[in-house]
Amino acid sequence: MDYILHILILINIYIILVVSLDLIAGYTGMLSIAHAAFYGIGAYATALLSLHFQTNFLFNMLFGIVGAAVLGVIIAFPSLRIHDDYFVIATFGFQMIVYSIFNNWIDLTRGPLGIPGIPVASLFGFNIDNHWKFLVLSAIFAFLAYLLVHKLVNSPYGRVLKAIREDEVFAESLGKNVNSYKIQVFVIGGAIASVAGNLYAHYITFIDPTSFTILESILVISMVIIGGAGSLRGPIIGAVVLVILPEALRFVGLPSSVAANLRQIFYGSLMVLTMLYRPQGLIGEFNLQK
Amino acid sequence: MFSQLFVNGLIAGSIYALVALGFGLIYSTTRFFHFAHGAVYAAGAYLTYACWLLGLSLYIAIPLAVIGTAILGGLIEIGVYRPLRKKNASSLILLLASLGLFIVIQNLISLIFGDNTKTIRSGAVTEGLPIFGARITPIQITIIVVSGLLLLLCWVFMKKTKMGKAMRAVANDPELARVVGIESDQVILFTFTLGSTLAAIGAILISLDTDMTPMMGFYALLMGVVAVIAGGIGSIPGAALGGLLVGMAQHLGVWKIPTQWQDTIVFLILIFFLLFRPQGFLGRVVKKAAV
Repeated sequence: MDYILHILILINIYIILVVSLDLIAGYTGMLSIAHAAFYGIGAYATALLSLHFQTNFLFNMLFGIVGAAVLGVIIAFPSLRIHDDYFVIATFGFQMIVYSIFNNWIDLTRGPLGIPGIPVASLFGFNIDNHWKFLVLSAIFAFLAYLLVHKLVNSPYGRVLKAIREDEVFAESLGKNVNSYKIQVFVIGGAIASVAGNLYAHYITFIDPTSFTILESILVISMVIIGGAGSLRGPIIGAVVLVILPEALRFVGLPSSVAANLRQIFYGSLMVLTMLYRPQGLIGEFNLQK
Repeated sequence: MFSQLFVNGLIAGSIYALVALGFGLIYSTTRFFHFAHGAVYAAGAYLTYACWLLGLSLYIAIPLAVIGTAILGGLIEIGVYRPLRKKNASSLILLLASLGLFIVIQNLISLIFGDNTKTIRSGAVTEGLPIFGARITPIQITIIVVSGLLLLLCWVFMKKTKMGKAMRAVANDPELARVVGIESDQVILFTFTLGSTLAAIGAILISLDTDMTPMMGFYALLMGVVAVIAGGIGSIPGAALGGLLVGMAQHLGVWKIPTQWQDTIVFLILIFFLLFRPQGFLGRVVKKAAV
């Protein structure tokens, strides 16, 4: 039973990641493979604060959000000057830099050893100490993240974002400050993603840099693209499918090392096939075709 | 100390230059980032290892592996990229497809050969010859010489031969190239096999010097990408310069900065170039958002 709950909790965490990345990549058209950096900032802020200062869950979350917002401004900055595939390469560089900080700033992060013993989340004196309670907590935040992005993209604000995605120069000609919108989107998207990191750290109670690599970023962007960038249902389906299907491999009785490889081969080939036969993804609106 | 770091930087830089050259040539004819190039690179090393396991001598295994890798590069172009181009896919679609391919090939390699380190080195590790106070092994000299020769050969090839000129024509303007009767599909296919050959040679050279792991391609690709952007995409002297810059920054940086930060330096260089000089030292101006 705990196993099924575990999968459901992971799905909730990934839903937070995909809806926030969808805001950046799907609605505003800034394809980023640095999302695991925001995720990691949230997780590391949570781990360090709660271990060294015994701060509570909500305070950690707030701090992670501030950290991710600052990083969001930095990562958004290249998008003001370079576009499309060059921007992807820039986010790639940022992802590697943030990862190398997690991995190499040993004094702060303990590097590859990771940080064990993160306390469980507690909310208003109520300890979230089993799978059931955590499932509820993660579901609440997944729903809030969805609601926030849903409200944003269906407002006039969201229409500006889509205009930027479709034709930046045109949006600018209508008097929209494109640069400011791009930075805001990265700040909001990054902040939401850091909440996923906060939940992850409190849930697993151990973090190390391997959870926040470029491969994690590629996995999250795959979920968004395969599901359909520029819709909210699509990426959520993408997250559910890409979390659940590889788990099925466990039941075939494959050793875990083989299963890990097959899981990646699975979503890698799904990505290629999606690009070949359905570049707009399962449900998406943004077909990446400029 | 300095001369040893310099030599190390030169060796690493030569390999990055080879990766960057193939990657850059492919970019300039197709206008997208072929991320799977990193996995093709690793395939070069592992094909050599596979032939070597079958009992072939390295003198036969290496050419076989190079040919095999070139074929792999060609198959990727025919099987995935060409159909995508026929649908007028944007560079982002091609890039995402190549990310997917990268993950598939790399995981296939680690599925077949395992994640642990493999080696095709033969004989004992020797101390290396002293040159200007640095120590350098014969294989390391081979790396520098072979890479230098290949870069020079490619440069002459691009300037003098018909295929080289066709590649530059397609890079310049695919439409116009078609108008004057250049088969752009043929030219692009050739570019993929050439680029993959260069990657395979780089991978085999480095695995003769050190070892191989399935992740080696990822690392080489990262450094190659930085080299190509710093040097200027599509320019052969640019790839060489960019490769050297990255190799030197990594190894000379260690002089003043702790070793674990050497890769971070490289990515800071990448961000710097992307922000302030995205066309690199020697490249053309990159596109901006257009009306």
